Amino acid sequence: MMAVRDVEGRGGEQALAGIRVVEFSSAMAGPWIGRFMAWAGAEVVRVESAKHPDVVRQYVPPWAPELGTQPQLSPWFTDWNAGKRFVALDLSRPRAIEIARRLVGICDLVIENYSGGVVDRLGLGYEDLRAVKPDLIMLSTSGYGRDGPCSGYVTWGPNIEALSGSSRASGFPHRECTVTQFAYPDGVSALHGLFVVLAALDYRTRSGRGQFIDVSQYEATVSSMGQPMLDFLANGEEPRPMGNRASAAAPHGCFRCAGDDAWCAISVGGEEEWRSLCRVAGRPDWAADERFASLSERIENQEALDQELTRWTSCLTAYEVMESLQGAGVAAGVVQNAEDLAWRDRQLADRGFLEQIEHHKKGRVIATGVPFGLGATPGRSGAAGSAIGQDNHYVFGELLGMSAAEIEESVRAGAIETG
Amino acid sequence: MGGQGAGDEKLTDIRPSALQGRRVLELADEKGAYCGKLFADMGADVIKIERPGGDASRRSPPLWRGEGGSGESLSFLYTNTSKRAVTLDLEKAEGRELFVRLVETADVVLETFPPGFLDELGLGYGHLRRTNPALVFSSITGFGQTGPQRGFRSSDLVAGALGGALYVTGEADDPPVTLAGQQYYTVAGLCAASATMIALLHASRVGRGQHVDVSAEETTVSLSHICGIGKWLDDGIVPRRMGTALFASVPSGTYTCRDGLVYLMVNRPAHWKALAEWIHEECGIEEVMDPMFEGPSSRRLPHRELLDIFIRDLTARHSVEEIYHQGQQRHIAFTPVNGLAEVARDPQLAARGYFVDLPHGNGVTLRFPGAPYRCGETPWRVSRRAPAVGEHNAEIYGGELGLSGIGLRELEERGII
Repeated sequence: MMAVRDVEGRGGEQALAGIRVVEFSSAMAGPWIGRFMAWAGAEVVRVESAKHPDVVRQYVPPWAPELGTQPQLSPWFTDWNAGKRFVALDLSRPRAIEIARRLVGICDLVIENYSGGVVDRLGLGYEDLRAVKPDLIMLSTSGYGRDGPCSGYVTWGPNIEALSGSSRASGFPHRECTVTQFAYPDGVSALHGLFVVLAALDYRTRSGRGQFIDVSQYEATVSSMGQPMLDFLANGEEPRPMGNRASAAAPHGCFRCAGDDAWCAISVGGEEEWRSLCRVAGRPDWAADERFASLSERIENQEALDQELTRWTSCLTAYEVMESLQGAGVAAGVVQNAEDLAWRDRQLADRGFLEQIEHHKKGRVIATGVPFGLGATPGRSGAAGSAIGQDNHYVFGELLGMSAAEIEESVRAGAIETG
Repeated sequence: MGGQGAGDEKLTDIRPSALQGRRVLELADEKGAYCGKLFADMGADVIKIERPGGDASRRSPPLWRGEGGSGESLSFLYTNTSKRAVTLDLEKAEGRELFVRLVETADVVLETFPPGFLDELGLGYGHLRRTNPALVFSSITGFGQTGPQRGFRSSDLVAGALGGALYVTGEADDPPVTLAGQQYYTVAGLCAASATMIALLHASRVGRGQHVDVSAEETTVSLSHICGIGKWLDDGIVPRRMGTALFASVPSGTYTCRDGLVYLMVNRPAHWKALAEWIHEECGIEEVMDPMFEGPSSRRLPHRELLDIFIRDLTARHSVEEIYHQGQQRHIAFTPVNGLAEVARDPQLAARGYFVDLPHGNGVTLRFPGAPYRCGETPWRVSRRAPAVGEHNAEIYGGELGLSGIGLRELEERGII
């Protein structure tokens, strides 16, 4: 049974209570920042328009393609937007811009990742917004940043993996380009964006001053791969991709285990771990083998070492390999897939990492947890699967104090969309 | 090149950085060093506390062996910019006393010891909160402070494996593979930095800190979630390695030009239309304009291989530069598959002055990746090169805690600092 954390009704203190965020955002790199803040207790309002739906809204369920586009059902929409409030404004109309500005006026932070320059053209740029909210913090995230010759170029996460040098520096030496299936620059740049807005909030608390922040996903990705980048900058040579190998550890890699596409990662740093591995594998002869007598010899003879080790691992399940090696103090981990994470990972289950949350269409869904480990102010994910404009009345009526008549009039004028 | 020298406006800018006035005590190996760097380059006073003799991470490869190179660890030099460093033996009573005195002055303790290690020394969160109730105590470990595997050993590779990232990286015919440069530990540090900031904002409000328990396995699960649990529970399909294409985006992946590879990804209907028009114009392929290919990626999913043939026809006629810039003029997400040399001389990064040049003694300058974000008001900056072992012992123990020169020498002789 999958162990999940049922967060419904969990009360208690929220770390970011009292912080309000507006998002003009799409896909992941912007929305993921707000998702984390909502989890930690901030009130996050996302502005959308049915005329320009987020790419994640254009989701056709593979299990029922006949349903066509289902804007509330994407699992990624849950992962990037659970717990937010949703309003719908047609930003091509001046009245909608006026309402958006009023909304910014009662917020602390704006996050935007519309394509190049769109918010400025709409009259929702930092200078416009700071006129209504002088201590506003505004974060803009884009592929290349707000200036430079390529500013405004279109990118997605994997484009940045290729652009940043990661896809060439990573992977096995016989491959020219190795990318993840999870668009890691989106995650890496969103996490940098989250840190910088939190630091800006801390600065505002002490100084009373807001500011504009420009995140280039390209730059954030290069900054997070400082090790290979500095190797090139300092030593002048393109580092050769090493696959799973390490320059100061051996054996170091993914070893085939019994079963379909089953692998266990093993990292042996020191001599003690190496001897432990030989003992656990029942191969004292490896410890005595002069080809493997020291780290430098094990690195030198890595092909042979990997082959020997695979003879042992391939007879066991990946979990057996991990358990037996970890029992002897050797770093090892099953190469887990999505199903393993949900069903077989005792550690995630024991820590209640996965969250069961309310979904407006599906009833309940399981969401990936937020890995922030805040013991005294445990976060929680609010409802997922909101429709465009679902919270119009709460946000425009309760938060902005617009009267029912005023809302009605804005709907008739086409400024507020009703979904 | 657009590197910004330490002599120009970056270091003469006297505006405060965002975290100026915050103090972080860092007892961290490679799992936490990037987290500490994020705080330090934002102006926090990050004091790296190492055992006498210095941490093992000072010797982690790759080493600086190029021209003028000092033989130091480059990953250490990179992840420890803007920090100060002291040495301290926490296993000795006097070392622990000094540590507690430092904790009184700190906002954050950042540590990466195995769970329970500091508790046994009487320096766990439960002890230190009595000294400093507003303290945020952040731990980064492989698996977290609780659970049946909390004592397991970790590495960047093991975190990537258990966290679901390796399984979905690389080619279907190859073993699972990791990313260069310890990305999974970097992300653990990034998550810890944000979690610590959230706890700090909360502590500022209520006067109470907390223990932040970050697991590198969990941060990797979070990073790789796009092909994780949510998707699998929705469609029942376990995501696998599939080369350079992405499972939900059609077309996507690498394509060969006359002189190298480009990466392409199409998600929005308008981007497909622009690409189809370009192929039609240049290659005269009529079928590419078929309306059945229009709309979101899911419409094109059954036709991935056919569309790849059309696109290869286009890219083979051009150089990487042509496809990149002409494609982007048409709003199509083409990017080059860069080596690090291309990144180092990219005109875009140069125009934004991304790289930072930092003096490293003897007239030698080392170039570093620069700011991951640009703050309009509070500059990001590298305020100093990575410190030498115990470089700030006298400044901090003497100047700030008021120990005498004799007292310092004595502590040094007895191996406490």
